[in-house]
Order: sequence, then C-alpha cells, then structure tokens
Amino acid sequence: MKDILRIIIAPLVWLVTFTLVYGLHGVLCGHDLTTLMIGKIPVARVLLIAAYVFAALVQLALLAALHAPRLASRYSFVRFVSRATGWVGLGATLWTLFPVVTTSSCGLAM
Amino acid sequence: MSILERHRKLTAIWSSEPGFKGWFSTVNHTDLGRMFLVTAFFFFLVGGVLAMLIRAQLATPDSAFMGPEIYNQVFTMHGTIMMFLFAIPMFEGLAIYLLPKLLGTRDLAFPRLTAYGYWCYVFGGTMLLVSMFLGIAPDGGWFMYPPLTGAIYSPGINTDFWLIGITFVEISAIAAAVEITVSVLKFRAPGMSLDKMPIFAWYALVTALMILTGFPPLILGSVLLELERAFGLPFFQAELGGDSLLWQHLFWLFGHPEVYIIFLPAAGIISTVLPVMCRTTLLGYGWIVAAIVALAFLSFGLWVHHMFTTGIPHMGLAFFSAASTLVAVPTGVQIFAWIGTMWKGRPELRLPMLHILGFFVTFVIGGLTGVMVAVVPFDWQAHDTAFITAHLHYVLFGGFVFPILAGLYYWLPHFTGRKRFFRLGEVAFALIFTGFHVTFLAMHWVGLLGQRRRISTYQAEDGWTAINLISSIGGFVLAIGIAIVVIEVALHAVTANRGKRNPWKATTLEWAMMTPAPAYNFASLPHISSREPLNDDPDLAVRLARGEGYLGDSGPGGRRETLTVNASSGQPDYHVIYPGNTRLPVFMAAVTGLFFLSLLLKFYWITPLAVSGVAFLACRWVWTLGHRGDLPDQPVGHGVALPNSIAVDHGSGWWGSLFLLTANATFFGSLLFGFAFLWTVAPGWPPPALFEPSLLEMAAGLAAAAASTAAIRRAIRANRNGQTVMPSLVLAIAGALVLGAVIGSLMLRTPGPSAHAYGATLLVLGGYGLFHAALGALMAGFLAMRVRRGFTSPVRRAEFPIVRLWIDYLAVVGMLVLLAAHVPGFLT
Repeated sequence: MKDILRIIIAPLVWLVTFTLVYGLHGVLCGHDLTTLMIGKIPVARVLLIAAYVFAALVQLALLAALHAPRLASRYSFVRFVSRATGWVGLGATLWTLFPVVTTSSCGLAM
Repeated sequence: MSILERHRKLTAIWSSEPGFKGWFSTVNHTDLGRMFLVTAFFFFLVGGVLAMLIRAQLATPDSAFMGPEIYNQVFTMHGTIMMFLFAIPMFEGLAIYLLPKLLGTRDLAFPRLTAYGYWCYVFGGTMLLVSMFLGIAPDGGWFMYPPLTGAIYSPGINTDFWLIGITFVEISAIAAAVEITVSVLKFRAPGMSLDKMPIFAWYALVTALMILTGFPPLILGSVLLELERAFGLPFFQAELGGDSLLWQHLFWLFGHPEVYIIFLPAAGIISTVLPVMCRTTLLGYGWIVAAIVALAFLSFGLWVHHMFTTGIPHMGLAFFSAASTLVAVPTGVQIFAWIGTMWKGRPELRLPMLHILGFFVTFVIGGLTGVMVAVVPFDWQAHDTAFITAHLHYVLFGGFVFPILAGLYYWLPHFTGRKRFFRLGEVAFALIFTGFHVTFLAMHWVGLLGQRRRISTYQAEDGWTAINLISSIGGFVLAIGIAIVVIEVALHAVTANRGKRNPWKATTLEWAMMTPAPAYNFASLPHISSREPLNDDPDLAVRLARGEGYLGDSGPGGRRETLTVNASSGQPDYHVIYPGNTRLPVFMAAVTGLFFLSLLLKFYWITPLAVSGVAFLACRWVWTLGHRGDLPDQPVGHGVALPNSIAVDHGSGWWGSLFLLTANATFFGSLLFGFAFLWTVAPGWPPPALFEPSLLEMAAGLAAAAASTAAIRRAIRANRNGQTVMPSLVLAIAGALVLGAVIGSLMLRTPGPSAHAYGATLLVLGGYGLFHAALGALMAGFLAMRVRRGFTSPVRRAEFPIVRLWIDYLAVVGMLVLLAAHVPGFLT
C-alpha cells in the first residue's frame, strides 16, 4: 500500500492544493477582500501568490523525497512511476496555479 | 488426479445452480460479468433507439413527430441511459468477467457484493425504464440543473425518478468499485508484483478509485435535491440562502471525472488488444501507468470548465482552462505509446484492429475539439450548441464504443468458445464508422451555425435543414451497423463452430484456460514471473489444468478457495474461503429497492421498515462468515502454507471497508464543501439566526467520540492478549450512542431547516453523523455478539480492525459535525 501511496501522493497533493487555492480565491472574492491593502501591497494577491509558492515548494519536497534512496520504493518500477507522477504533480502545480500571478482576481469576464 | 477428474470436482464446487434459478443465486464472477454485459448492452440498444427518435425528430424543420414534453423525456433518458446504465455497467461487467482471469485467480474479493451490485443495477435501471413506459420519465436533461428541476418548475414525479433511480444504480457502481479495487490489489496470482500486472488491471484499478471518489458528489447532490423537492429544504433556492450553482459544482465534480471513468477502461482494452493485433508488446508500460494515474487526478481538477458561462471570475476561469489544456498531455502519452506499439510491431488488420483504428480517428478529433472548448472565449461561443453535443459524442463514442466493439470481437471467442462463422462484423464496422462521422461531423457544423442543443424543432429559415437531414441519415446508417453487430453476436451464440483456445495467440492469462471459461477459472493458480506468462510458458494452460500450480488440490471440505498476495511484491499473503451460491444478494437488493421506492412514492412509513430489513440482511450476510475454531495454516502448494483470512489484521473485509470509507469520506467532504460554498458565495448569508451553541453538548460529544475510539483500541489489545473484550466493546457502543444523542439534539435545535439553507445543511450534517453513530453502535454490538458466540480469538482477530476503522471514522465525522455546528455560534 505504501507503494501505491508513493505513486499517487504528488498528484493527490496537487489536487488538494489546487482546490484549496481555488477555495481561497473564492473566499477572497466572496467576502470582497481583494481591495484590502497593507500600505501599497494588495493582501489578496500576496496571499494567493504565497499559496502558489507554498504549493510548489511542497511538490518540490515530495519530488526530492521520491528521489531519496531512504524514502523511495525498493521496486524499480514503483520508483520510476512514482517519480514520473512526482514530476506531474510539480508541473501541474506550476501550470494550473500560474494564473494567480497573471490574471485579475475577481473581475467577471461576462 | 487426472485433468478431467479435477475439472469435474472443481466444477461441482464452483458451479452455479443449473437453469433459470441459477441467475438469482449465482455469485460467480463469470456469470455475473456476463449478466452485467448483456444487461448493459440491452440498455445500449434502448438508448440507441431513443437516439434514433431524436434524429427522426430533428431530420426536418417544424417536426411534429414528437411534442416537446415527450422530446424532453427522450433526450434526457438517452443521455441518462448511455451514461449510467450502459457505459459504467459495461466497464463493471467487463472488469468483473475479466479481472480474475487476467490476474490469475478464481474469483473477485467479494462475490456476494458483485451479485448485490448487479441486482441494484437491474432494479434501479428497471425503475427508470418503467417511468419511460408510463410517460413520466425524467425530462430535465441528463445533468438535471436546478432551478429547472426544483419542485417549483418540475412539480411531477419525473425528476424524482432520476434522482432516486440513479442513486440506486450508483450503489452498484460503488459496490463494483470496492470489489475491483480490493481484487486488483490483493487477489492476484503469486509472483504478480505491481510491474507484472496486465495493463488492463491498472486501468481498472484507477477507474475504480475514480468511481469511489467521483460518484459521491453526485449522490450527495441527488440527496440534497430530493430533500429540497420532498421536504422543502432549500439548498438550491437563492431566495432562501441556497444556490443553484452548488448543484453544478457537485454534478460536475462527478461529471468530468465520469468522462475519464468511461474512457480509461476503453483505453485499457486498446492497451490490451493492440499489442496482440500488432504481434508485439506494449510500448512504454511504465509511462502508460504514470499517464493513467496523472489523467485520473487531473480529471478531478477540470469540473469548472463545464461552468465557464456561469459568471465565474477571471482567475477561476484561468485555473480550469489551464488544467483543461494540461489533461491532453497524459492522453497524448497514451496515444503516442499506442502509435509506437504499432510502429514496432506488425499490425494485422483483423476485426478488433479495425475498431481500434476507428477509435484513433474518432477520439483524436474529439480530443482536439476538447482542447478548443477548453479555451474560454471559444467555449462562450460554442456553449450549449450542437457543437458540444458533437464533441462529447466524438469523445464518448470514439473513446468508449469503438474500443468496446474491439473488445467484444477480441474476447467473443473467450465468452463462447466458438469462432465467427458469418463475417458480418467488417460490414458492421464500415457502417458504424461512416454513419457515426456523417452524423456528428454534421452536428459540429450545425452547432457552429448556432443550433442550440436540446431544441425539439427548428424552422426552415434557420438554414439547418439539409445538415440535420444528413446527420439523421448518418444516424440511421450507424444504427443499422449496430443492428448487424447484434445479429452477428446472436448468430455466434447459436452456431456451434468450436474455435481454438487462444485464437489470437495472446500472452495474457485469460487465455490459459478452456473456453468458455470454467466456473473456477484455473484448476491451479500460476506463479507469475513476467507480464507475458503465456509467452514464457506456452504449456502453462495444460500445467495449470494438471494441478501443478498453487491450490492444485480442491479446497478443504470442498469449499471455494483462493489466495491473496502482498499488493506490491505479489508474495502470497493469506488464504481465502469464499461463500457459496446464495439468494441473499438479490433479496438485499430488493429490500434496498423497497427503500428507494418508498421515497419515490412517498410511502414514508415503509422507509424505516426497509432500512431495518437492509440492516438485518447485512448482519445475516456477515454472520455466515468466519469460524468458531482456530484454523491451522493452509498448505497451498509449492511448500507454502498461509493463514486464513480471519487470522490476519488486514483481511479482505478491512480492505473493502477502507475503500468504502474513502467513498464515504468523499461524500462527507462534498457536504462540507457545499456548506462552505453556500456560506461564501450564496446570497442571503449569513443566515438570520445561527445555531445556539452549547459548550456542554459539544464537550460531551467530543468526549464520547474520543472514548469510543479509545475503547475499540483497548478491545483489540485485550483480544490479542486473550483478555475479556466485553467492557471495552460496551464502552465503544456507549460512546457511539452518546455521540448520536448529542448529534440528535443538534438536529432538533437546528434553526428553521426549511427557512434557510443554513439550517437545512446543518440538518443534513447532523443526519449524516447520526447515521454513522447508529452504524458504529450496530457494528460494535454485532462484534460483541460474535465474541460471545466464539467467532473470535487471539488468532481469529480480523473483525476487530474492521470495526475500529468504522468507529474511528465515526469519531472524526462526529467531531467535524459538532465543530461545524457549534463553532460559528461561539465566534459571534
């Protein structure tokens, strides 16, 4: 079961962080917190970017763990697949949460 | 013992009752797999007839073939049947039939659960069919959006049939998913480590896990919408604190993974059949496994791309647009692996290969239009037009029906032991392929010209007449092709033209047995040392029939037996004795159906009787398992002796409970998501009155939860040390009952459940907690009775960890329910 966990952990963590960041974005928009400023710093944007960076760091840590001989599976097949899905988790995090630094937060498109 | 004697002896042990009666009492996976497949194909034909009615209606402008009321029922039932009664059960049937054979074992993990799932499917599907014949079928579209489907705009019973019937059918899907997950992880031939599993097993495992986490949001949505319709709890009514968008979130949390739940098993067929057709091995096995896992998870991050036009902020759109484009990558990995497989092999253009090529062309086009609609501005233009209908048919017909037809022709000799006599399949393929593309290419076109989906008619001056007529002609050509497939399969079943055992010269284990398959699959179980066991040892089938593998001698006392393995290494783990034929599953499914029927017809006085009936039958179900004396380790051959499944910590029941609780936790998590969503997004929040918190009640509930979980742990320790376990079990029961009482008080004090979505949500949270408190108390009480009757000992300990899982789960959800109800009141 630990080997199955090694295979799914990175995409599972991506799913959790992706949902949490989407939820955080929903809370910030729903409670109109995007106009909140500390000095000239927009608090909502900083929170979202911090969440993005945190999610990426978690994925990096997972990837490092999956490559570490002490934590990696003793089966070469599981090592290969778990590291591949580890890269999927990192790539998915960087790509799907990238909008936190590029788009407006709560602007409606329609 | 000769091969023939062994065959006769094993057949006597494993076979179902002869004749018609055997259908109701069989728990054998081969029988049930066939029954699932035939029933699913029947529903496919019904859905196909409905599709033809739709095309007849749209063939000409101003059509009077059907009125809008009937038309609404027809397109709703077409989508519903194809999604819920054909595609998913077809996967279940194929997996149930094939997996034990591919994995080198004799049956699935829980044979009676397979039968129970099948009968739930049949009864639930029948419920929907009956509604159609009575003219009161669901008519709100297969995704049933409120407020259209709320009590105000759809006051009849039509929508209730959908909500209740589909939930009933989903029990079958959850049951099959638990069954498949545990079977793939544990019920394999010795030596079959994760890297030696046939690729179809990986697809089935991932699909089953997706069902366990994808279906609960829809079950929750159906429960909430039915509660709103039946009792006025306003989850989706904006004026009372609800939000119809909550339904869309819950539905598409299920609905988008559903697309991949349908596609992945079909891709599993491609990955299994293609290498055989190309006389080679699958290229990039490890990459494909990684791609399947990636696809499964990414598919859960796409649900909002069905909601691009609902007024979601820019950033939200961008998240899901990015995820939607990303999902093409693991799909592309598989496509390239298949192309590479063809490149390195010597493809032979036999009938399954024709359907695989049909799949390639169709699915790639569907994938490309999928990337188009993942781009937000294009989606705004194409949303709710026939372009989307065409896209989803390219994905689902291309991604599922062509592979299923490839699989049908590939495994037909296995199902029947016969070879094709009438060469109708090639003609059928030509008609299906041509008819499909004529129908749906035209539908893309008319969609881009502005034809909305689901319209019952249009006017001549809209300019869509010729395209729709072409589309309808294509649809009927497609239908003729499918009819020819049906005729060929029927002829195949009645023409006695015996075929060779392994006509394709395949290398996977399902061909290492006589065909049609005997009830026991393998006279003895193989030891696996590669992914191509028949390539390693062409005489494997004969050696297994001679009893040279594991469990070569028939079971102790003539019982059905198999063995399990360690999930990673494939080392033998424990010995399993199966239950025999029984009508318990069909009875339990019937009583479960009575529960759903009582809700549908609003005969609420029957509901508690049905619930009690299910509880009683469930207790009877479990009571028949186990032994009153310790069993010695069972020799299974090759010098290996294994403990019985009741003498291990993590037996099959524990694994089944673990995955059932995974689905359960997804349901609860979706409920908490709904609560947070309404609080954050819905109008009319915060509610006019919050729940009056009570420190005493909350503390009592939390203490009871902690006490029950500590008590069950203490009981496990006491049992292991040979001490009395009763005081600990009584404490666990008391803890569950106190927690239930506290949650019951919460439900009674919930402010105005029908006045605001806040109270309604708290009531459902409380109901969920109360149900699990009752279940925890029942399970601990049941265990106490088992202890009293001598079913447990320090060696026979498997039942304790199962109850611990459920008590722990109760403690966690109980605490969360109490915190969700009390904490907001404390904070204000």
